[in-house]
Amino acid sequence: MFEFFFKYPMTVFTKGKFVLLGAWPGWLLVAMILAVAGVLGRLIWLRLQKLEPIKDVTPRMQQQRALAIWALQAALVALVLLLLWQPAIVVAELKSQQNIIAVLVDDSRSMAIADSGADGKSQREAAALAALNNGVLAGLKKRFQTRVYRLDGELNRAEKADSLKPDATATHISAGLKQLASETGDLPVGAVVLLSDGAENTGGIDLDTISALRNRRLPVHTIGFGREQAIRDVELQDASLAPRAMADSRMRATVSLRQRGYAGNKATLTAKDGGKMLASKEVTLAADGLVQSETFFFNAGSAGVRRVTFNLAPLAGEENIANNALTRLVSVSGTRRRILYVEGEPRWEYKFIRRAAEDDKELQVVTMLRTTENKIYRQGIGDPAELSEGFPTKAEDLFVYDGIIIGSVEAGYFSPRQQEILREYVDQRGGGLLFLGGRFALADGGWGASSITELLPTFLPNTKDTFHREAALAQLTAAGADSPVMRLVDDPAKNIERWKTLPYMMDYQDAGNPKPGATVLAEMTTQSHAKMPLLVTQSYGRGRTAIMATSGSWRWQMSSAYGDTAHDLYWQQLLRWVVADSPGRVVASIPDARLMDDGRVKLTATVRDKAYVLAPDAKVVAHMIGPEGSSAMVDLTPVPSTPGTFSGEWTADKQGSYVAEVTAARGADELGRDVMTFERQDGVAENFHTQQNRDILEKLSSETGGRYWKTDELARLSNEISFSEAGISVRNTKELWNMPIVFLLLFGLMAGEWLIRRKWGMI
Amino acid sequence: MKLWKTLTIAAIAAACCTGLYAFQRTADWGYQQETSNVKAEFAWSRLRFNSNMSSYGGYGGGYGRGGGNWSRDYPKADRQFLIALNRLTRVQGRPTEQVVNLDSDEIFNYPWVYAVMVHTWSFTDDQAKRLREYLLKGGFLMVDDFHGTQDWENFMVGMRQVFPDRPVEDLTDKDEIFHVLYDMDDRFQVPGEQYIRTGRTYEKDGYVAKWRGIRDDHGRIVVAICHNMHLGDAWEWADDPEYPEQFASMAFRVGLNYIVYGMTH
Repeated sequence: MFEFFFKYPMTVFTKGKFVLLGAWPGWLLVAMILAVAGVLGRLIWLRLQKLEPIKDVTPRMQQQRALAIWALQAALVALVLLLLWQPAIVVAELKSQQNIIAVLVDDSRSMAIADSGADGKSQREAAALAALNNGVLAGLKKRFQTRVYRLDGELNRAEKADSLKPDATATHISAGLKQLASETGDLPVGAVVLLSDGAENTGGIDLDTISALRNRRLPVHTIGFGREQAIRDVELQDASLAPRAMADSRMRATVSLRQRGYAGNKATLTAKDGGKMLASKEVTLAADGLVQSETFFFNAGSAGVRRVTFNLAPLAGEENIANNALTRLVSVSGTRRRILYVEGEPRWEYKFIRRAAEDDKELQVVTMLRTTENKIYRQGIGDPAELSEGFPTKAEDLFVYDGIIIGSVEAGYFSPRQQEILREYVDQRGGGLLFLGGRFALADGGWGASSITELLPTFLPNTKDTFHREAALAQLTAAGADSPVMRLVDDPAKNIERWKTLPYMMDYQDAGNPKPGATVLAEMTTQSHAKMPLLVTQSYGRGRTAIMATSGSWRWQMSSAYGDTAHDLYWQQLLRWVVADSPGRVVASIPDARLMDDGRVKLTATVRDKAYVLAPDAKVVAHMIGPEGSSAMVDLTPVPSTPGTFSGEWTADKQGSYVAEVTAARGADELGRDVMTFERQDGVAENFHTQQNRDILEKLSSETGGRYWKTDELARLSNEISFSEAGISVRNTKELWNMPIVFLLLFGLMAGEWLIRRKWGMI
Repeated sequence: MKLWKTLTIAAIAAACCTGLYAFQRTADWGYQQETSNVKAEFAWSRLRFNSNMSSYGGYGGGYGRGGGNWSRDYPKADRQFLIALNRLTRVQGRPTEQVVNLDSDEIFNYPWVYAVMVHTWSFTDDQAKRLREYLLKGGFLMVDDFHGTQDWENFMVGMRQVFPDRPVEDLTDKDEIFHVLYDMDDRFQVPGEQYIRTGRTYEKDGYVAKWRGIRDDHGRIVVAICHNMHLGDAWEWADDPEYPEQFASMAFRVGLNYIVYGMTH
């Protein structure tokens, strides 16, 4: 239809450039149109003044009619003037028989799904081949040379299209196109035709690929196969799980899933480590197409690498059950974390926090307690010299701790230098700092007027006497109900009820109002029914801070039934929160711990010295240990733009789990080391997102100047594909004066004026 | 004759009643608890317990209020000790003591408790269970003022109701409880007030001071046993010019160490 009116395909207009072939300049055309329109308007206006009033027509209606007549006449004159200037479109067109069209056929496993063709039951691959053989290839061959490629995990030439079988374990469209652009740099490739379901395993087309195609002005025409939505399927979309954890810590995993055809059905979602069940829950499936998230809590277990598999039990009639499971690796650290706890007076909270920590093998609480004005009692020290001079005055002495607790101690107990390194401890070292309530703590201890006040997660009250030895009851906030720190029992609803059963606390302290960005995990209600924050957390710099505004939580231990674990569990989890994210001096990372069908991995490490100052002069080596005892050493080299950062690339050849131990040294001194895990999974990503990903195909086409084609439109492909600037092309000028739409417009404008004049009696 | 018979029966009945009374628990403590509105972190808690050896009772220290055996040296010893606690440490101690018993859960609000004359104590099963749970949840018990072999045996009868299997250990100089505040390697027997009159440091056959303890599963001392000594008397008579200073000082140091240990372990 478009071509009937406009003579040329739409591609000509979208890709071409509008020009005026006439000798006169374009500005003259505009001036002429304006002048003629003005003269016409003036003439009509003069005529209107002399016109006798017409019966039943108001002066305003008469003016509107005159305006309509003027508009039609002006448009007619403008069109005629435009034709005098000889309008045309200049468009690049591939020269016949001198260009190559690259035809890429996806032969990955997802193309074997039988949901295509006219009946909707043909294999996607078969439908693609049928489309090629039933005209597309023949049409292209009339004007171009064609090269057929097999696209899966990589790109390869296919001698015959018919020989393709959908059995490859991966689809890397992005990498394949990039490879094509690279390998055919010296060939006159005019355009790319991609027949695929768009199930790109890496999730999208990367910018490098788009850039490579654009640099060659190579349009990618995509032809989509497969249903865009499954009829009956549940797919695990993602599983969010921290890649590192402390041994025996409570881990939180969020699994997102989407279903079609099973809304309202019940399904069982499990988390397993090998054969060991970690957690299980029954979920009610949400509405079709809606992404729902389910949260698990489970114990990380002992030190080592955990391979956690999340699985949703297959439902009756499910089309694809291979997308019901996801795995994630967790590196569980057995390194004991050390916390420095400074306490200004002997008190029960101190004792019971210590007792809770003593039951946690992963925590070591080193305490310095002021028993008298001049005596400090130390517990948990590693050697007699530790803290023998009191609270550290050097950064390197303080930064060895993973967390710090400040109890009932006045701010004035710390020198300005000590306060400064406390701030640096959180900000630069990335440690966790917890303030407890007490008669010398928070506002009563003068912390609001100290330089440390900016670290605190609340605006402390400006008054003293904020500490009260009165009973207060704790309750969870909404954020607390969702936090692993506050989880005393796994079931969310039961956990909220569990908190309501805790005995009252012996005292409370008004910690003020939470700062913007702080999170209140628990509140407390006093005997006078006042509500105030109990546990407030916030991030600060690289670290985090918190306030626990009481010193009376020990009563949860003494006044609960013997054997009740609530007090100890709470404090263990809070102390773990304090230390868990405190980075070491060497922090290694990779972009994604799952290498899907591609073993290339980029290792990055940030290295700091003992004072946690970036160490650009370090020597950094990664020891890679892979399946079947394979190992390799990789030197990481400094990244010039970011001092203290080192990177290196390596390829994991085999499928399986890998451990990378990154070690940094300065001369003979080891600065630190970090261990991370990753896994190469082949053929797994292909099981997911198996519906036609039309979005990715359309986006690829539009970004490169191509077009997304449906199978019933392919007859025009061979003609329209020629409008391309890639390969060997010429610029053709398409005159527009003889388009049928022009004549229709001329006729329509004249006829329109005549008709309305006749209707209004103005002839 | 009839009158003689009646008098005989009455005398026998009175004797039986007296004998029966002698073996009954002391039900009426005759004690009015000291009230205090002062709130502090630490409250000196004295354990009030039942006794089936009432002949030991009735000594209420210098304040003139009677009680059972549990109230020996009470409350002067307690208050003099609290003065020392508040003066010599950063522990915020309530100026007056707190009497607790094992018949209610109130004791769980006071994780440190002091008991004397423990060779006379007697527990019901519920009381023994409450004390056991108190100690295992984090409470600390210091016992004092019992002397010699027979007192030890009587003390252990009650203790075995609380902890049937946990061993009683002799504490050594290396134990942290003797170093937590003061280093106390050179400990000696602290006598009661009778030393002023007799010059004897021991009572009964308790010639040598025994520093003993019972530990929980983590090795923390939960019951500190001061056998063959009378620290309470030393606190009580510390202001008596005739009572030797070295005994009073030792007694205070022991008490302070035991409190700081109980608040840190």
